[in-house]
Amino acid sequence: MDMIEVSGLFKSYGPIQAIHDINFKVKRGEVVGFLGPNGAGKSTTMKIITGSMAPSGGSVRVAGFDVFEDPIEVKKRIGYLPENPPVYGDMSVESYLKFVAKLKGVEASRVKAQVEKSIEKTDLGSVRRRLIQNLSKGYRQRVGIAQALVSDPEVLILDEPTSGLDPRQVAEVRALIKELKGEHTIILSTHILPEVQAMCERIIIINRGHIVAQDSLEGLSTRMAGATQVKIKVARPSGEVEKSLQAIPGVSALVRVSMATLWRLPQVVPQTVRPTVSLSELLKQPFSRGRGFLSFAVRARILKRFS
Amino acid sequence: MRGVLVIAGKDLRNLFLSPLFYGIAGLCTIAWTLVYFLGLQDFAQASAMSMMQGGQEGGANIHFVVFARHISLVNLVMIFSVSAMSMRLFTEEKRNQTMSLLLTSPVTATEITLGKLLAGLTAAWALVAISFLYPLSLRAFASFDWGPLISSYMGLLLITGCYVAIGMFASSLTESTVLSVVMALIFNVMLWFVGAVAEAQPEPPWNKIFEHLNVGTHFVNFIKGSVSVAGLTFFASVIVLMTFLTQRVVESNRWR
Repeated sequence: MDMIEVSGLFKSYGPIQAIHDINFKVKRGEVVGFLGPNGAGKSTTMKIITGSMAPSGGSVRVAGFDVFEDPIEVKKRIGYLPENPPVYGDMSVESYLKFVAKLKGVEASRVKAQVEKSIEKTDLGSVRRRLIQNLSKGYRQRVGIAQALVSDPEVLILDEPTSGLDPRQVAEVRALIKELKGEHTIILSTHILPEVQAMCERIIIINRGHIVAQDSLEGLSTRMAGATQVKIKVARPSGEVEKSLQAIPGVSALVRVSMATLWRLPQVVPQTVRPTVSLSELLKQPFSRGRGFLSFAVRARILKRFS
Repeated sequence: MRGVLVIAGKDLRNLFLSPLFYGIAGLCTIAWTLVYFLGLQDFAQASAMSMMQGGQEGGANIHFVVFARHISLVNLVMIFSVSAMSMRLFTEEKRNQTMSLLLTSPVTATEITLGKLLAGLTAAWALVAISFLYPLSLRAFASFDWGPLISSYMGLLLITGCYVAIGMFASSLTESTVLSVVMALIFNVMLWFVGAVAEAQPEPPWNKIFEHLNVGTHFVNFIKGSVSVAGLTFFASVIVLMTFLTQRVVESNRWR
């Protein structure tokens, strides 16, 4: 059964399109990773699923309930960790978690047990009576995770759950998420590839508001195995350059990584080319002659681009 | 309803555990004590005067000489202190980024707003209750008529309710605490300036309209001891209107 169903999701902030026709489904108990560079639309998509933001178009269903028609039913089932953990500095960890549990509608008789359980899972026992404002960023992040877990929701939406943590804590959080697998349906976002490899069964890659690829980890690596990524720097990039690059036989995708910088600094145009594209072919292109073809680098695996 | 109590409970707990409330309450009592003491002195003087004149006039009225003066000062202080306390209601949530927690929890925008209103009212009314200790303490030395005092305090509760609702609305509009306090103050003071407009409008249809919109006339009626439906309706509608507007602002977070 599909726990989360997202179809045709659009969101624009004024003239800026944040996400563009996002479609995906998540099965019950699955752990899905949103992978993409900063500003790709991961957080926006997550906010829409949790019902804290309305899309410009499209629909989201969680456990069969439409987020906009039955928001309360959906919210009962979701634990959400936003980018910045939503904590009150002037509350102690324990009283804060109690408040969240009550707010999420946990029955009064189970509040205490649930709080204990989430404190234990996130290893916050040693700081439970301290004020959140006095905690380090890593602990705050863990309080944020505890907060998402405290109502024992069916769905967990975690926006960059490991940001701000030290390597040991990162490992702990990864282990925790693995442990939660099966009990909960989890969507987590990250811009770090090993993160996804460590925790997720399925990856959804988002770039500039579009879903670029979605597949299981194995599927994705076999699909990309044969591809080589070539990074090219040109001094005067233009539509013409892009066009001629696309015309090279074997080029499957062309992604511009940085837009115009100050004083016409070199720009980077990486592209994916099949190994069959010969370098001489590249060098024959018009932009390579007198147009500031500065450098290129070959990278073996496309997935590296996100790491 | 559950959400209302949970949110109000959290806010009150945080307010009563923070130094802010005690700071404000302490400063309020300094101002009230000074003026109350002066009022009592004036009353003692006026009573002595009328005693010397043979007491035919019935002496000074403690309600007007002491209590009314105290209550109008309480009102003045409330305009400022309620604005300072109610700024926390939504502005803090937005600054802490905890608004997203409330918005993704299974509570409606109405529950969030009513929870905040309840917290704000309780805090403001706690201050009003402190101010009630002054007339109450006089009971040990003198007997007076409860009626007008109680109706004055009813008026005071209602008018602070308006300040809370206005402050809550102001805090829902902005992320800046300074702007939120300034807006609340301006709205609250504007409420009183409607009276000045009323006086400047002698024309028949307008003077009646502004008279009804004037907080001053309604509040003075309560102080005089007359509880009217018009007065109750006026205060209730200000509170309801502001709460409704706040609810719309909170709800709009979902579709902005």
